[in-house]
Amino acid sequence: MTNPEENIVLTEAVFYTLLALHNPLHGYGIMQETKRMTDGRLVLSAGTLYGAISSMLEKGWIKALPEEEESRRKEYVITETGRQVARAELNRLHELVENGIKVIN
Amino acid sequence: MANEGWMLIHTGFRKYVFEKGTPGTYTYRLELLEKDTHSPESKSYLDFLKETGIDVVGECVNWVYLRCKTADCKFDPGNRPLYKLTHLLKIQAFFNTIRLIFMIAIALCITGIFVLEHPKPTPVIDFFKGFCVGISLASSVLMIMLAPYFNRVNRKVKAAIKDLYTCN
Repeated sequence: MTNPEENIVLTEAVFYTLLALHNPLHGYGIMQETKRMTDGRLVLSAGTLYGAISSMLEKGWIKALPEEEESRRKEYVITETGRQVARAELNRLHELVENGIKVIN
Repeated sequence: MANEGWMLIHTGFRKYVFEKGTPGTYTYRLELLEKDTHSPESKSYLDFLKETGIDVVGECVNWVYLRCKTADCKFDPGNRPLYKLTHLLKIQAFFNTIRLIFMIAIALCITGIFVLEHPKPTPVIDFFKGFCVGISLASSVLMIMLAPYFNRVNRKVKAAIKDLYTCN
């Protein structure tokens, strides 16, 4: 399992996937939720999302929920490690924005 | 062809089946998987794509023909650096496998030629010697002919890695 204290920089796709998975969702649901959160700006492609999900499963940031019999769609949800990683990324982004405002504005 | 209304619906070995439809209904992509389409990893990936509305219309070894409705397409934009690099690394791995097969064939055939020098020449031994010479020559020629393509892919991989430093 990854130590969330390390300086990890997340891609936008991974960050938004972690946000979306604060509630259980399947792949298509993650795409829709991300599109909704960004007002259509960020549309996750299937290949990118699959890679992100595979990587996050390996790192223990998300977990797959048991498949329901009627539905063949696999659902995922964020883990406690994933929440810590998302929080660390949020703090990093805060710092980035504050420094940007100081210098550019 | 999709833009002209010809929709690919099935592929086989050297066979492509199209049906007429409305131009632009579907967008198609050809993707190289890391393992053949029947491996668990590839099945998991293709099942995931199916969940998101992308269908497999044909396959050949590690290559799959994919399509999704143009209005709601979820393919990776081909110009994004990360997608480009992933795609190029798969092609590079594919070429490296071909190169390895050729090199093994050349090594085995050269070994065979030397081993077959020792027994008394007979028509069968001469045939096999000629077979070994032919295979190693053919493999060498193919490797030389494919070398520019190997190099082009390697150059594109380096460029894509460089691009990744500036954006993803």
